[in-house]
Amino acid sequence: MKQRQFSLKVLEVELDNENEFIEFFDTHGLLFKNHLISINGDISDRIKYYLDEMGLKYINNITLPNGKNVKSIDINHQENKVDKKELEILEEKLKSQAIDCRIKLQEAQNIINELEKKSNRELVVLDDMLRSGKEIDIDGDLLLLNRVNSGATIKTTGNLIITQVVEGAVRCNGSFMMLTVSPKANIIFNGVEVDNSLLQDKLNRIELKDNKIYITPVIKKEINWVQ
Amino acid sequence: MGTVIAVISGKGGVGKTTTTANLGLGIAMNSKKCAIVDFDIGQRNLDMIIGLENRVVYDMVQVMDGDCTIPQAIIKSKVNENLHFLAASQTKDKSVLTSQKVEKLVKDLKASYDFVILDAPAGIESGFEHTIEFADEAIIVVNPEVSSIRDADRAIGILDAKSQRVKEGHDVQKYLIINRINPAMVQSGEMLKSDDILDILNIKLIGKIPEDKSIIDASNQGRPVVLDKKSEAGAAYIRVANRLCGKDVPFVDVEVTQASGVFKKLAGIFK
Repeated sequence: MKQRQFSLKVLEVELDNENEFIEFFDTHGLLFKNHLISINGDISDRIKYYLDEMGLKYINNITLPNGKNVKSIDINHQENKVDKKELEILEEKLKSQAIDCRIKLQEAQNIINELEKKSNRELVVLDDMLRSGKEIDIDGDLLLLNRVNSGATIKTTGNLIITQVVEGAVRCNGSFMMLTVSPKANIIFNGVEVDNSLLQDKLNRIELKDNKIYITPVIKKEINWVQ
Repeated sequence: MGTVIAVISGKGGVGKTTTTANLGLGIAMNSKKCAIVDFDIGQRNLDMIIGLENRVVYDMVQVMDGDCTIPQAIIKSKVNENLHFLAASQTKDKSVLTSQKVEKLVKDLKASYDFVILDAPAGIESGFEHTIEFADEAIIVVNPEVSSIRDADRAIGILDAKSQRVKEGHDVQKYLIINRINPAMVQSGEMLKSDDILDILNIKLIGKIPEDKSIIDASNQGRPVVLDKKSEAGAAYIRVANRLCGKDVPFVDVEVTQASGVFKKLAGIFK
């Protein structure tokens, strides 16, 4: 003998006014889709048709076992019990909490994205001569091994090293730059124009520390002494 | 199959047309068939420089439109039978050029000449782009001054970006001519040194042409300066033409040799 035991939710309804009954199921029908409806009272064809149409399973005029574990919840009674105002406040609280959560999640995601971007940012190495009219825009660090001619522009969001003479424009937003003696260059470092006459040595390091720009020689100019 | 060379400069007035005329004649003197084509539509000058202005019947725009054939429009030079000239239209403007038309014209010329020299208009507009589009090589003419260098730099950049040969994955050979060098001014540091120019442009040098007053007269007479045996500029142009024809010509540093006669003799004594 095959046996299966269920504990299922039962909705007990007293049927004496058909219109009221239909009205109730029109509004709450969906909630009881998975319930067994136990109807006390005579079921007319109209109700039968209506329940079939709604897809509700039901039993008629059956006395439910009155065991220890049977818990009956009087729906109407409970609805009246909860203060509507309190419910609204609770709902609003939940809503605002949900929004806060979403904002925090988004912020965290942004930070993660930025960190990922930073770690993925590769160094771009170029050995092209930048002729007049050429403009390169690099999101990240750049090492350029060739000249930048008058009329060419370089823009980087990261650090920049140029090993040859710059006669064009340089726009760098990284934390440091390395440039050679470039008396004709137009240099803007983190939004500040750098006086190109300060680049005196063979290779100069220009860096931003505590909102100040420091220029230090990396390779000093060679001095040719008389032999 | 010949070689198509575009003569470009970016800046105007540096001597493109003079260079085209002299190199054309210099190449023709090497017994090579050479066609020079004026691509400066609407502002043609080359016909005057080579003294053929009164012989122009058909121009290159009429050739491209199919109104006449290339042999009908070609004008033979009076001084050298190897030098042929195709004039630009003076009445039209640069907008008549299209890539297909230019390509056909250049291909047809290339098939029947050893050298085809295209004289580009100044600037980097459509006329310039069409001139360089189907060229195999380019000669960049500069003067030793900053504005000319920067414009040439830009022109080289566009050449490297728009040339058909580059698009096909080849290289366009680029040669530099430094024109109108004033030796005294270079030595006193007022003019840019050739080394600095080569540093900036980073292309091969094929010749240095000294400033020469006889060029103005030669242009006005319609007799290119290479015909003048005494002219230093003429000699320099002949050296460049010989190099283009594959001859190994030693470089003459025009920046120093043009010292006055007395100094030359003195130097000779001490050697």
